[in-house]
Amino acid sequence: MMKRNFSPETSDRFEYLQALVTEFQDSDSEEAKEQVLANLANFAYDPKNTEYLRQLQVTDLFLDMLTEKNENFIEFGMGGLCNLSMDPDCRDLILDSDGISLITNCLSNQREETVLSAITTLMNLVTPASQSQLTEPGILQCMLRFSLAESPRLHNLAAVFLQDCCTKDQVRQAEQQMQGQQMAVGIPLPKD
Amino acid sequence: MNSCFEMPPKRKRVSANMAANVNSKPGCWKVPEVYKHHEQHNACFSRPKYRDGRRAKAVKVYTINLESRYVMIQGVPAIGVMEELIQLCALYGTVEEYRPLDEYPAEEFTEVYLVKFQKLTSARAAKRNMDEKSFYGGVLHVCYVPEYESVEDTKLKLQDRRSYVLKVARSRAKERVADAVHMESTSSESVPTSSRVFATNNPIFNSDKTGETSSFSHCSGFPLLPLPPQEYFHQDYRGNEPTEDQMGTLHDAVPPDVKQQKVQNFSSFSKDPNSEKKLASNPDSSVKLVPRTAHLEKNKRRKMEEATKQPVPDSGEPSLIGPKLPEPHKLDMNDQSLNTTVNLIRGTMKQVTSVPDLKPAEKKVKPRRRI
Repeated sequence: MMKRNFSPETSDRFEYLQALVTEFQDSDSEEAKEQVLANLANFAYDPKNTEYLRQLQVTDLFLDMLTEKNENFIEFGMGGLCNLSMDPDCRDLILDSDGISLITNCLSNQREETVLSAITTLMNLVTPASQSQLTEPGILQCMLRFSLAESPRLHNLAAVFLQDCCTKDQVRQAEQQMQGQQMAVGIPLPKD
Repeated sequence: MNSCFEMPPKRKRVSANMAANVNSKPGCWKVPEVYKHHEQHNACFSRPKYRDGRRAKAVKVYTINLESRYVMIQGVPAIGVMEELIQLCALYGTVEEYRPLDEYPAEEFTEVYLVKFQKLTSARAAKRNMDEKSFYGGVLHVCYVPEYESVEDTKLKLQDRRSYVLKVARSRAKERVADAVHMESTSSESVPTSSRVFATNNPIFNSDKTGETSSFSHCSGFPLLPLPPQEYFHQDYRGNEPTEDQMGTLHDAVPPDVKQQKVQNFSSFSKDPNSEKKLASNPDSSVKLVPRTAHLEKNKRRKMEEATKQPVPDSGEPSLIGPKLPEPHKLDMNDQSLNTTVNLIRGTMKQVTSVPDLKPAEKKVKPRRRI
């Protein structure tokens, strides 16, 4: 056996995260799964953990959650992706796993928190290669509608997306395409 | 500025629960609304010991969207202690603005304050240290209020966060390379490839070798110990980066003492009695010990998507993303046969007018998770 002088801190952290992933996979209790998922998503906030979470394929675990029926699973999974996608390596993994379509589906979620996480994640996913997919007219029109929302958090975030992630020409195009279509009035926006 | 952001606030309220608080004043100091994220969630007491933190915490996920340099402090006794409150806040960082939120629904004999810190890290430290603490006989509830941010605030917050994460990732990559080189030169008998793997697995361990990162790893080591408030002040005045690691947000997931609970944790999770040894000695192989089904699922998902791929709706009519309009009201014609006819016509109309949708590709049966 090779000698490996791990710092105890490092291996503990990895083992702990692995134990969480294992419990998530093994548990049959929805409640326990929700707790563990929330733990993992919160761990994803600390960039020191991203390397381990990436090795444990937690990005895929979070992406899997987006098609669950349990709304908490979706919210926590989306929150975890929002946290992880700040890291360039995790961002690339999400893009490789075709995460964009799964995440854009969350834009129509009823929970505001889920929608906000989805918008921030989409912003994090912008790279020269993914830019065209992330600024397709459908998404821009959705952001335009969100920018009219009453909720300050939602319209702020949508405004940031429209300012940072696409050109003014693209916004203008999307606005023109929206003319004649249904207007924002009457569209159910995510509940608080 | 783009024209779409300057739309007059003539938005129509949709849901009944939102209709109560009509508020069209622009700017950040407007009449406050009560949002769900202001509520204190019920703490969760059903966690197994190994992931039960020191403090009682609710099951909640924090993201950058929830955090803000604007905080709201509820439960301040209405005995004229605003100055004392702001002095307390200033211990955690520069306070840019503050004001009482008289319009916000408060409990009897208490006041609510809005405090705008200069830095997000200060707000974080203040929340962590002041929330649920007693103050002149009252118990404070401190929460972030990102709805007071301007578009610019939100933009800067996200930029700061992204550059911080990028910085950590970069220094991690740098140390990984440095360590791989170091390992190869020192351990000539070891297999070079695996030493490289080892290096990639230990960014924290590696990061301790350079002064740059150790400046903040000294206090953010794992397991985290509760720090006396003084250390936070110290950190806050040094700059905003270091405190990133000690967000109150992560706290809830941090185990109180990993070493102590390792035994429990593994006795309940690993069927293999040797696994603890294996895990401790060889983390890269332990990744393989627990096969993640996600990869299989991902491949399956991809295959199924390819099989059921719809013609791309690019032909000038992009599919609608985001919330959809409610279904039109179903008319009741008071007659079975008339209703059937109406439904038939409705169905046909829908088929004729519907835009090819993306949905079917994604809405298929989820592959079963197998362990």
